[in-house]
Amino acid sequence: MRATKGTTMTGPAISVSGLRFTYGALEAVKGISFDVAPGEILGFLGPNGAGKSTTIKMLTGQLRPSGGGARVLGIDVSTDDPELQARIGVCFEEKNLYLNMSAKENLEFFASLYGIKDPDADGVLRRVGLADRASDRVKTFSKGMRQRMMISRAFINSPDVLFLDEPTDGLDPATAAAIRTTIQEEADRGVAVLLTTHDMFEADQLSDRVAFLNAGEIVALDTPENLKLRYGSRSVKVRLREGDGIREETWPLDDAAAATRLGALMTSPDLLTMHTEEATLEHIFIRLTGRGLAG
Amino acid sequence: MNRRVTRAALVASIVRKDFREFSRDTLYIFLSVLGLVFFALTYYLVPDTVDETITLGIHQTGLDELVEEFQTGADAADGLDVVSLDTADHLAAAVAGDLAVYETDAGDVVLVGAGAEAEAPAGATRRDVTVGISFPDRFVASMVDGERPTVTVYTGTAVPPEVAGAMTSFVREIAYSLTGHELPVAEPDAVVLGPDRAGDQVSLRDRLRPMLVFFVLMIETFALSSLIASEVLNRTVTAVLVTPARVGDFLAAKTIYGTILTGGQALILLVVLRTLTTASAGPLLVTVLLGAVMFTGIAMITGSAGKDFIGTLFYNMIFILPLLIPTFSVLFPGTAAPWVQVMPSYPIIDALTRVTTYGAGWSEVTGSLLLALGWVAVIYAGGLLVLRRRVQRL
Ligand SMILES: Nc1ncnc2c1ncn2[C@@H]1O[C@H](COP(=O)(O)OP(=O)(O)O)[C@@H](O)[C@H]1O
Ligand SMILES: [Mg+2]
Repeated sequence: MRATKGTTMTGPAISVSGLRFTYGALEAVKGISFDVAPGEILGFLGPNGAGKSTTIKMLTGQLRPSGGGARVLGIDVSTDDPELQARIGVCFEEKNLYLNMSAKENLEFFASLYGIKDPDADGVLRRVGLADRASDRVKTFSKGMRQRMMISRAFINSPDVLFLDEPTDGLDPATAAAIRTTIQEEADRGVAVLLTTHDMFEADQLSDRVAFLNAGEIVALDTPENLKLRYGSRSVKVRLREGDGIREETWPLDDAAAATRLGALMTSPDLLTMHTEEATLEHIFIRLTGRGLAG
Repeated sequence: MNRRVTRAALVASIVRKDFREFSRDTLYIFLSVLGLVFFALTYYLVPDTVDETITLGIHQTGLDELVEEFQTGADAADGLDVVSLDTADHLAAAVAGDLAVYETDAGDVVLVGAGAEAEAPAGATRRDVTVGISFPDRFVASMVDGERPTVTVYTGTAVPPEVAGAMTSFVREIAYSLTGHELPVAEPDAVVLGPDRAGDQVSLRDRLRPMLVFFVLMIETFALSSLIASEVLNRTVTAVLVTPARVGDFLAAKTIYGTILTGGQALILLVVLRTLTTASAGPLLVTVLLGAVMFTGIAMITGSAGKDFIGTLFYNMIFILPLLIPTFSVLFPGTAAPWVQVMPSYPIIDALTRVTTYGAGWSEVTGSLLLALGWVAVIYAGGLLVLRRRVQRL
């Protein structure tokens, strides 16, 4: 089935170059460039107002770029081509579901807009753990259930590219983990995923590559490991006995002198515990932008 | 797996979804049903009778005998009153409504200028002269001389054409019986320039009909605008527009849904009021269709305008209530003021009234329908524009 999806699969699924958007005088996206390959998950990590949603809106045809260009599946996004819309799935930041319709009715309605006659609504709902609530109105759903509905709706047309705007925002850890699993499954099927988040753990765990977005600019773009290698410094946190008390120290690992001291300490009876600490993406974000991910 | 979906299928999907949502909205289902029941009850509870007495004014000299004969006949017959007036001019003015005619208990006729009714003698009875026959002075003498004097029949616009025709024949009869040969009878047009009291002879029930139809259109406009507002405010329309559906499909769907919803309810009411079968179907359906599209356009505007549901309700009030004003001109007949006639709903009300109440056909309502079409085009285009902008700026 995927083989029929054609020639566009050989290049990047999403290809963005110099993309810009201005709301009046405010330049929300300042000429960003990146690619997403089929089967790859690219995480857009940035605080509120960084321009994540604006980027997704341009790539999904909701906003026309003010400058630069983007191709999704080889099709220019500013052409407003229904052919393209048929092959993407979008999960919006706001939970825009038909509250007076059941979960299944919501999915069947959207499926009909893609010309899908017998959508596997039950199957899709099962994947997000909502199979037993299929005929309940969305109005009665909790926040987490609505978010899972949003994900299932993005899946209903078996898209080749998924745009997920903060798909786990404000969810309990269990629901968030379940949603991440289904996103990973999609990527494993070969779907290109562009995901935005301001949660560094999510970006770290789920993304093949992470783009740091700050004030409309990509300040870094690489795999989480490379970002940490390049910008982060590893350290060791040691706890030592000292008289009747306990002392905690953090030693940087990329320092030769520290390594020697650490070697000596290994045999000391005063050493209680020792943990290597990796730099988090948030630390790196702060280092690169001078600001954190919250707010 | 290259699925293609036709525009028509897309639009149909959205319309089906809209009806499903409507069917889930207990408030609007309740209002729609309650509205129908309430309006039908109102209709059947108001009286279906009219005061059909026609007061005939006569001006003559030297024909007292004839008038007396008339009066006796009139007393015997139901629905005819006879009043004598002294000059032909007074008679014309009375029929035109420029003079109010009072009859005292003694049988004297007192004339008072229109608007000065307070000056009428106490206890006098008002006679609404709707038809007048003026015999020229020297009527009998001229006939005896072998001349052919002209008898003038004045008819107010309140008089149904059949009655006016009957009067004319009646005068011919009298003249014939007096002279043995036909006499010319004139019906001056001038009299018709009096206040348009078309509808005076129509029962309250019949007059209520266009108003009830408009109320139904209004209720459904509330339902439609609230559906549009919810699509806009909850941004479900954004989700629709990232699928192969375009803004045009969304607008087309809302047009179809709105027209079916409002027009359909209006038709149901007309069926319940047993009007669909009696009025000429073509003009009636076109009138209802125009009304439905007009209100759909309004719902698009009000549904996009509000920042929240209360806002939409507020805009509905602002837009819809003024449009109800022309319905009152039907309920309380009299010439609709010029500012009422330029209201967008006026030509629709006018056509609705003519078709349902006076059995008018195409030719009598073409003017109104064309005017209505103009207004509908303006309002609907405005609705499309406003909703389109609103949706594209989400
Ligand atoms: N409709 C809008 N009108 C004006 N400014 C907007 C609009 N939407 C977003 N912005 C501004 O654009 C910037 C980027 O917003 P957004 O893309 O929503 O960021 P993010 O999704 O990363 O939180 C912010 O400064 C935001 O205030
Ligand atoms: Mg956002």
